[in-house]
Amino acid sequence: MTIDSRSNTRTAWFFVLPAVIIMFVACLYPVLSAVRLGFYDWSMGTPWAQAKWSGWDSFEIVFTDPAMWRSLWTTLEFAAISVSAEMFLGIALALALEGHIRGMAFFRTLFILPMMVAPIAVGLTWRYLFDAQFGLVNAVLAVFDIAAKGWLADETLAFAAIIVSDIWQWTPFVFIMVIAGLAGVDSTVLEAARIDGARWWTITRRVKLPMIAHVLAITLVMRLIDAFRVLEVIYVLTFGGPGDSTEVLSMHIYKTAFIGQKLGAASAISVLLLVVVMFLTWLALLMSNPLADGENGQ
Amino acid sequence: MKRRDLLKAGGLAGILAAGQFPLIKGVLAQDRYAKYRGQTVVMSVPSHPHYDAMTKILPDFTQETGIKIELDKVSLARIKDKQLLEMAKPQGDYDLACYVVMWKTEYVKKNLIEPLEPFFQNAALADPGYDMGDIVKGYLEVQGLVGGPKGYLPGPGAKLYGLPYGSETSVLAYRKDIFEKHGFKAPQTYDDLQKLLAPLKDKSGIGALSSRGQAGHQCVHAWLLHLNPLGGEVFDANWNPVFNSQAGIDALKLLKEISDTGPAGIPGYGQGELINAFLQGQAAMYLDSILIMGQVKDPAKSKIVGQVEYALHPKGVRYASQSGGLGLAMPKNAKNKDAAFLLLQWLTSKAADIKVTKAGGNAIRMSTLNDPDIMKQYPEFGILKEQLKYVEPDWRPIIAEWDEINIQALGIGISEALTGKKSPEEALNGIVPKVTDIMKRGGYLKG
Repeated sequence: MTIDSRSNTRTAWFFVLPAVIIMFVACLYPVLSAVRLGFYDWSMGTPWAQAKWSGWDSFEIVFTDPAMWRSLWTTLEFAAISVSAEMFLGIALALALEGHIRGMAFFRTLFILPMMVAPIAVGLTWRYLFDAQFGLVNAVLAVFDIAAKGWLADETLAFAAIIVSDIWQWTPFVFIMVIAGLAGVDSTVLEAARIDGARWWTITRRVKLPMIAHVLAITLVMRLIDAFRVLEVIYVLTFGGPGDSTEVLSMHIYKTAFIGQKLGAASAISVLLLVVVMFLTWLALLMSNPLADGENGQ
Repeated sequence: MKRRDLLKAGGLAGILAAGQFPLIKGVLAQDRYAKYRGQTVVMSVPSHPHYDAMTKILPDFTQETGIKIELDKVSLARIKDKQLLEMAKPQGDYDLACYVVMWKTEYVKKNLIEPLEPFFQNAALADPGYDMGDIVKGYLEVQGLVGGPKGYLPGPGAKLYGLPYGSETSVLAYRKDIFEKHGFKAPQTYDDLQKLLAPLKDKSGIGALSSRGQAGHQCVHAWLLHLNPLGGEVFDANWNPVFNSQAGIDALKLLKEISDTGPAGIPGYGQGELINAFLQGQAAMYLDSILIMGQVKDPAKSKIVGQVEYALHPKGVRYASQSGGLGLAMPKNAKNKDAAFLLLQWLTSKAADIKVTKAGGNAIRMSTLNDPDIMKQYPEFGILKEQLKYVEPDWRPIIAEWDEINIQALGIGISEALTGKKSPEEALNGIVPKVTDIMKRGGYLKG
């Protein structure tokens, strides 16, 4: 190695090191702390010095708890249904509104409004909308002579309610990502497709969507991660009920940590959640990984 | 004893005796507060009608004492998390913390709150005119005592760790217009109540009785309201779960019937929905906290102003009304403990209790309930005074593990019975192993 290249390496490290330290402190340290906490029996409000080493006990208790597995299954169902619907609707909306239509700026702003609302406010709003006595949803159903339903009082309907609220809030995120991706598609390629006789559907399926595949993959990953972490809306809307029908994993973690006061067990479940999300992220990135393509110089 | 000491002692006794005279009493009080003038007491309080009323009278305290007050208002659902984090620090931000009765043993077990007796014995701080015996006995015992029989009942070993402030019991409220129109009488027993549900719904065209029902604490609270009068208990004397006894099953069957004949959607109702359904004319009866009394009269919230009567919580095998609500305690890591005690003492004094009740809060003193002006403003306090005789101190087991049992075990099973997923027997029997595990982990049962 020459003196010049060593100097270059040092310079590179000089610039990169602060970012590495920040990433470690901000990202890795909390994760490692959570893993460490999983090996202790510690209750909130007591000094850390009183925490007892419990080894693998928390992990064993957690993995043999049927409530945890029910909760994981509920989370998978919730994520699969809500994220699929959001991706479909978000892409459809973006395709419909990508052109130069009059008043488009207004509609685009309108569509992204739900995303800007605080999750607690979303939960409260939908709680009132789904209210069996005074809710707007039942009022609309009444117009069509459909009997009022206790949306939050029935296991299936409550599950549908949390999915509807999630779709309402997060479809705009998919919309905004896709519309940004579509804006970056090279117009000459689209023009060439048109000259070759391709129609709208063919252009969309064979040209536009493949060209924004990276954007779709990243959007899917971000939505999956968020869907697995959703807490506030469900906390306000159903508190995991009726029974435990809407108790997603993050709600289960919350209850284990703050109600059961078992911070070790809650950390053990958090580690499981992390593994599941990492696995799903890896699957999503297998479809189209922009980072890998970047490394290949594409 | 030197002459000077004798004079001092005699003088002090004379002044204490003269404390009954308002002028001298005022001077004494000012001396008590003088040392703390300019200090700030930070209170952790929930968004709750009683604490909204308290906020209105706090300027009087600052004006009287020179002690400033800062409120950290958090929703009741999240306040405990924040308090636990704050009270675990070497020095916390809170000087007074509002707690739900269910948390008192946990806070003491974790050594987070101060016993109050040393403060009441401190002549420099304690108001000689403070009448502890005037505080509603059931409220004081349930809200404040820890360390007695079972760890939370009055008796040998019990120490005072908090004072009731926002305490409540349960009463029956009913629509007198509907009852008169259809010739119904207010139910006096649980038999009457059960027989009334279906015909009341049929004839009135609205729900018979509003109730909580949401999974977790809410549906357990609703079930406990009926379990106690029907003679049931959560644990026996040796901490074995007995909530699946016949009384427990009967209470759950009744709750299911209340849900089926009540306003639509009870299995999703929290306290807000329970109250709203009654206030908006969707239910003919309400059986829950006295919190309703002020709200019924508020035309901004209520469509049934002037149409409500009150009756005792019906009798089952016994009278046993809810004991619960909120209290105030002093964190061990508080910065300004003496000033905090002075505020606590002032808030729970006779004069301030009348003020907060007039402002819409819950009275904690018998003298307030007997006050002619208050009786004029709230004639329904007549029923409340009678109901207070039946406050059940062992209404629920206030042990440190209760939150977990309440929300993660009973709160799921009872909710499943309300939606019809499980029968009451299946639901309660199914929870026993989980509760037994929790009790073993807590050291109550041998594992």
